[in-house]
Amino acid sequence: MEYIILSLTLLAIGIYGLSTKYNLIKLLISVELITIAASMNFVIFASSLSDALGQAFMILAFSVDACITAIAFALVIIIYRELETLDIRELSKLKK
Amino acid sequence: MVRIMFDVLLVVGLVVSAFLAVYLDETTYAVLSLAVTNVILSVFYFGLDTPFAAVFQLTMGIGTVAVLFLTGQMLAPKTGNVQSLKQSLLGLVVGILLSVPAILAVGHNIPVTNPVGFPLSTALWKLRAIDIIAQGLVILTVSLGITVVLKEKGRRRQK
Repeated sequence: MEYIILSLTLLAIGIYGLSTKYNLIKLLISVELITIAASMNFVIFASSLSDALGQAFMILAFSVDACITAIAFALVIIIYRELETLDIRELSKLKK
Repeated sequence: MVRIMFDVLLVVGLVVSAFLAVYLDETTYAVLSLAVTNVILSVFYFGLDTPFAAVFQLTMGIGTVAVLFLTGQMLAPKTGNVQSLKQSLLGLVVGILLSVPAILAVGHNIPVTNPVGFPLSTALWKLRAIDIIAQGLVILTVSLGITVVLKEKGRRRQK
């Protein structure tokens, strides 16, 4: 249970990246860190409670994470093809 | 004592590399930092006696890093604005400072770990059963959907 603070720290770093960076790839890295922090909880509790289900759920969490990453990359590539930029501030022009 | 030192080193490495992955402006260095995070995390999971999680973390992490690296190399603009050494060192120091709460939590005592003694097939099939098939279908659908979307966009662009 001592590692929960570590998971919270990783979550905080991910949220910091999401809120301060404008590059789409950096945002993806931040999302990766947040998912790492979330899946870390499964492992920590599986280890401390000796419940194998935590590890099994982590495999599920990883595959969902892979799907999210794949969709995000497809969106990044489409955005780059359309706008030739990775800056999310440019994307706000789409609202107009 | 050795175990505590090892845990503290892992915690510091994990937090610093995660922070640098977000902090560094150069995409290549940020992705390399994320790769280091994934490797340290995998070692950390082995230390917690959760080998399946460690193996999956390593494989998934390295796959993601490879894709991120290629995407970064292809798409990231080459601005030439490289962060100075002072800024990079600042990131390192902030990363170390961020790891202090976790060090204080881990450094007090050796975390209790309980090894899970069963094969991978039990984790995949006996504990999860039918949802792994649903999961496979979801992954297949997502990959097909992405392929279709990318091809359609490429076709429209050619027109």
